[in-house]
Amino acid sequence: MAEKPIEPIHQFQIHDLFPLGNVGGVHFAFTNSALMMVLTVLAVSALLLLPTGQRRLVPTRMQLISEQLFTFVSDMVESTAGHDAMKFFPLVFTLFTFILISNMLGMLPYSFTVVSHLIITVCLAVLVFLTVVIYGFARNGLKFFKLFVPSGIPWFIIWLVVPIEVISFLSRPVSHSLRLWGNMLAGHIVLKVFGGMVVGLASVGALGAIAAVLPLGMAVALTGLEFLVGALQAFVFAVLTCVYLHDAIHPGH
Amino acid sequence: MANPRDTKSPQREPESGSVTGDLAQRIARAQGERPVAKAPADVGGTGVSGANRAYRLASEFVAAIIVGAGLGYGIDVLFGTRPFAMIILLLLGFAAGVLNVVRAAAAMNAATAVPPGTPALPDDDDD
Repeated sequence: MAEKPIEPIHQFQIHDLFPLGNVGGVHFAFTNSALMMVLTVLAVSALLLLPTGQRRLVPTRMQLISEQLFTFVSDMVESTAGHDAMKFFPLVFTLFTFILISNMLGMLPYSFTVVSHLIITVCLAVLVFLTVVIYGFARNGLKFFKLFVPSGIPWFIIWLVVPIEVISFLSRPVSHSLRLWGNMLAGHIVLKVFGGMVVGLASVGALGAIAAVLPLGMAVALTGLEFLVGALQAFVFAVLTCVYLHDAIHPGH
Repeated sequence: MANPRDTKSPQREPESGSVTGDLAQRIARAQGERPVAKAPADVGGTGVSGANRAYRLASEFVAAIIVGAGLGYGIDVLFGTRPFAMIILLLLGFAAGVLNVVRAAAAMNAATAVPPGTPALPDDDDD
């Protein structure tokens, strides 16, 4: 390993598994990221469909897991976004399970963390943002603009408050996507840096091998932390989706 | 809960004896164990770690400033008012960032003020 430097960023490289050809000068290929997404969708489908096929009254362990996952997200949507938002339950559930399972699969060695690329999280956040805007206008019409005009504000402050509210609203998809991406990217880089320290120190000699215990302990602790962060960020993403959907249904604070 | 149902159907007794016969007992035992296992899980579920909170607030703040500056720059490029729209919208973005942080902090406080299921915890008896 001495001749090959350890690159913490290398794990995020996207490479083609097999090309799908060029469409209009744009190169299309089935990449490792796409493979992980397909595996995530298959894992989620298997987790939800296989154990619930028999519908036992006394559930098996796997059926219990999928039922708990379902009720967890359904309770979250109902308590955060209100009962009217239950029609968006499939969206929130899909987002939550996709991010959660892809983060868990991304913790496997030699695998790839899908949401460590900004384009993925931006797509997810823009999907939520456009859902909020389009549904908000479709349901409330022009009353949706009440979102930018808090009630009980004197007229001479309105002209200052409205631009601030608009910027605050537009900043939602930015923070929504940056948070998920930043957490997963930073965590995995730190994990690789400490892993690289272990290898680097262990290759020095006997003294180095003893010293390598310290970063190894950190790497073990950080691995546990990364599982927590992966689950937590999926939860945060889903909760914020619910909060934004609540604004689309009930504009005006 | 499961006991009356078990006694009602005598032909299923051998089967229910193995699978569900001691179910009530097992549920009672599991519920007796539950608070011990639940206490740390609750802390992890509602009490989001401090680093995560800090990261959440920081990203809310920075995102508003980025959007404000970006909007200002876009308006400047469109209308040729080089520094002014960016300056104004950067300041408004700062205000929006503070607003975001205040709202996020208020939501966090509201979420942690009343921990659900507090009276069920056995810790209350110690106080």
